[in-house]
Amino acid sequence: MTDPGASRERTRLAWRRTGLSAAAVGLLAVRPALHPDAGPAAIVLAALTMAGWSAMVAVAYRRARGLNRPDPAPVRRAVLGYAALTVGIAVIGGLVVTL
Amino acid sequence: MVHVRPGAGGLRTGTGAHPLVDNRRVIKWWDPDRVGEIPDYRFSLANERTFLAWIRTGLALMAGGLACAQFLPPLAIAHLREVIATALLALGGLVAVRAVDHWARIERAMRLKQDLPPSRFPAVLAVVVALGALLLIVTVLIGAAND
Repeated sequence: MTDPGASRERTRLAWRRTGLSAAAVGLLAVRPALHPDAGPAAIVLAALTMAGWSAMVAVAYRRARGLNRPDPAPVRRAVLGYAALTVGIAVIGGLVVTL
Repeated sequence: MVHVRPGAGGLRTGTGAHPLVDNRRVIKWWDPDRVGEIPDYRFSLANERTFLAWIRTGLALMAGGLACAQFLPPLAIAHLREVIATALLALGGLVAVRAVDHWARIERAMRLKQDLPPSRFPAVLAVVVALGALLLIVTVLIGAAND
């Protein structure tokens, strides 16, 4: 399979480093829950953050597999889902900061 | 997969509405126009990488907001730390939403072989971030003057 410009590989790596950026944000959002006297709210928010991050990894994994096809189609669901999860983590982060 | 709407192509009208308030545009995120022809997959993948770069920009803003809340000492102006943190998180979310919109508009323009849509968003984002930085500088100086 020829891939002039290595666009498949670059796209796969772009998904991967976006997932790593999301991991950094997720860990910052989870951090208050690691405190010895963390309240139940912080723990619930941390669990939601980790669930959201796992979903992001799942979306990226599926997309990366789709890139192996000879003619990878644009993926509206992956794009929408990933952005929605990002917004979700932003909302959780807002709650972590304000609660 | 989705129903085909051959007549739904057309040029975008409704120039007056704000991009993110124009609900037809939001609908297009879910219900793509099957117009024009599918572009070379390499162009679509480039568009996808641009989307991901914007998502990372949003994530970086969010990380900045969370770090601000967790690592900054209380600032000279009461609650400014929390305000900045929340503003950065909201800005990160906005960048993610706008990333989808821009992705969809580019995909559509490429299908129709039109010019790529222009955007003022990067300039607006730069100004907002610069103003935020200015606000922080002023706060730090006020704090230093009070000591």
